[in-house]
Amino acid sequence: MHGQSFAYQRPGSLREFEALYASHGDNAKILAGGTDLLVLIKERLLAPRLLLDISDLPELKGIAYDPAAGLTIGAGVKVAEIERSALVKEHAPALAFAASNLGSNQVRWMATMAGNVCHASPAAETPPVLLAHGCELLIGSQAGERRLPIAEFFLAYRKTALKPGEYLKGFRLPPLAADAAVAYRLRGLRRAMEIDMINLGVYLRLEADGATAAEVRLAMGSVGPISYRAAATEEKLKGMTVDEAFLAAAAAGVAAEAAPIDDVRASADYRNRVVGVLARRGLTHCLEQIGSRRNKA
Amino acid sequence: MKTLLKLNINGEDFDLAASPGAYLVDVIRETVGLTGTKKGCGIGDCGACTVLIDGRPTLSCLTLALACVGKEIVTIEGLSKGNELHPVQKAFIDKGAVQCGFCTPGMVLSAAALLRENDRPSRDEIKTALAGNLCRCTGYTKIVEAVEHAGQLISGEAHHG
Ligand SMILES: Cc1cc2nc3c(=O)[nH]c(=O)nc-3n(C[C@H](O)[C@H](O)[C@H](O)COP(=O)(O)OP(=O)(O)OC[C@H]3O[C@@H](n4cnc5c(N)ncnc54)[C@H](O)[C@@H]3O)c2cc1C
Ligand code: FES
Ligand code: FES
Repeated sequence: MHGQSFAYQRPGSLREFEALYASHGDNAKILAGGTDLLVLIKERLLAPRLLLDISDLPELKGIAYDPAAGLTIGAGVKVAEIERSALVKEHAPALAFAASNLGSNQVRWMATMAGNVCHASPAAETPPVLLAHGCELLIGSQAGERRLPIAEFFLAYRKTALKPGEYLKGFRLPPLAADAAVAYRLRGLRRAMEIDMINLGVYLRLEADGATAAEVRLAMGSVGPISYRAAATEEKLKGMTVDEAFLAAAAAGVAAEAAPIDDVRASADYRNRVVGVLARRGLTHCLEQIGSRRNKA
Repeated sequence: MKTLLKLNINGEDFDLAASPGAYLVDVIRETVGLTGTKKGCGIGDCGACTVLIDGRPTLSCLTLALACVGKEIVTIEGLSKGNELHPVQKAFIDKGAVQCGFCTPGMVLSAAALLRENDRPSRDEIKTALAGNLCRCTGYTKIVEAVEHAGQLISGEAHHG
């Protein structure tokens, strides 16, 4: 058995975990579903001394919705639970859709969204939707808690804003206004078990007139070293009438702000073209969602 | 250095010694001696190592044995009730969904987990549930038919044989 040598501990409470994580520093790695971490260890890209298994901590479980606070999801929640959750389907359907596109069924039952976000791969499934939602991250440590907008979390390729001793405790997605929606669009080589060659989360909020863009967020993955928002395009689209010219400006804008590379999955040129198409489709899907909600009201 | 651990596999407790870095698939196959669980890629891509942990389909090649203490592990050997095969096993026989058999234990367990949630899955739902189980022999058609048939066996709409 190719037993690589590390120690394993499964703390019984969040407090115990925080103390262990604080005292072991860089020698310890958090183990959630292990679907990224254990692959890295097996491929000998990483050799931690201690794995702290947080996957059964009751304090990190649970999905809840509150009309004022929005949707909260604990760091220990499995991707498969997010995919199936009635609350997520109702209040963040694009996130349920993104979750259903991550890996295989087995991977989804093992993996957490916290692991997906903390691994900080630019091709990751969930960050673009979370960025589109304006998600706030709840960050814990022995010293206490802080909140951070997810837009400030990804610093560089696989580098996050977590400081030593800090961990991701949960996610908060603010409630969506009646005239706002989020959509997720992705492109891969096949339909399942695929690392995306491009993915995009979109948020659109309309003015009371139902025709003017009040606020737009466009978050892209796989077109740079991190998942990030096309801030200049978002600013430009604000206040525009939502018509063909608006969609064309969005498509051209994200293509200009994308900085993709050629790799095994796609060429930079192809990615530049597809990101615009996805922005167009994502915005159109937002309009459909807002429209159907209006018709029901 | 090895540690002592107790694993519950197919309803039976096993007292074992394993290193913290030991993966569940290796402990099941080599220490416990249940070789129905297969090891293919070792990195999560093929699904041959699928087992059920607390009822959920799980890749035993990316699961540490120590992380399974206190949980219920079911391998392909534990799916039948004595000589009474599980409906998915019967259906795989009825539909000829097995060729070399290397993918079969994982396929059967993934299918059993799906049918526990939904015994009337559409073909697309079956394909989604089995997307993480690769088969290099059958071309999948008979496997999908078998899972559909297994759902009918469970609901009593079809009979084995
Ligand atoms: C076959 C296969 C297919 C895959 N397909 C996809 C795919 O389609 N799309 C995709 O995006 N990903 C995919 N992945 C990658 C992986 O499954 C996901 O990124 C997953 O969400 C990781 O979550 P985890 O709980 O397994 O994390 P782990 O592997 O346990 O951890 C990942 C990293 O995050 C850290 N971490 C975990 N939880 C916390 C926390 N609460 N606070 C701080 N740090 C933490 C760990 O220390 C580690 O560095 C795939 C993986 C496999 C094996
Ligand atoms: S051996 Fe576990 S997925 Fe291939
Ligand atoms: S029957 Fe041979 S791999 Fe599936």
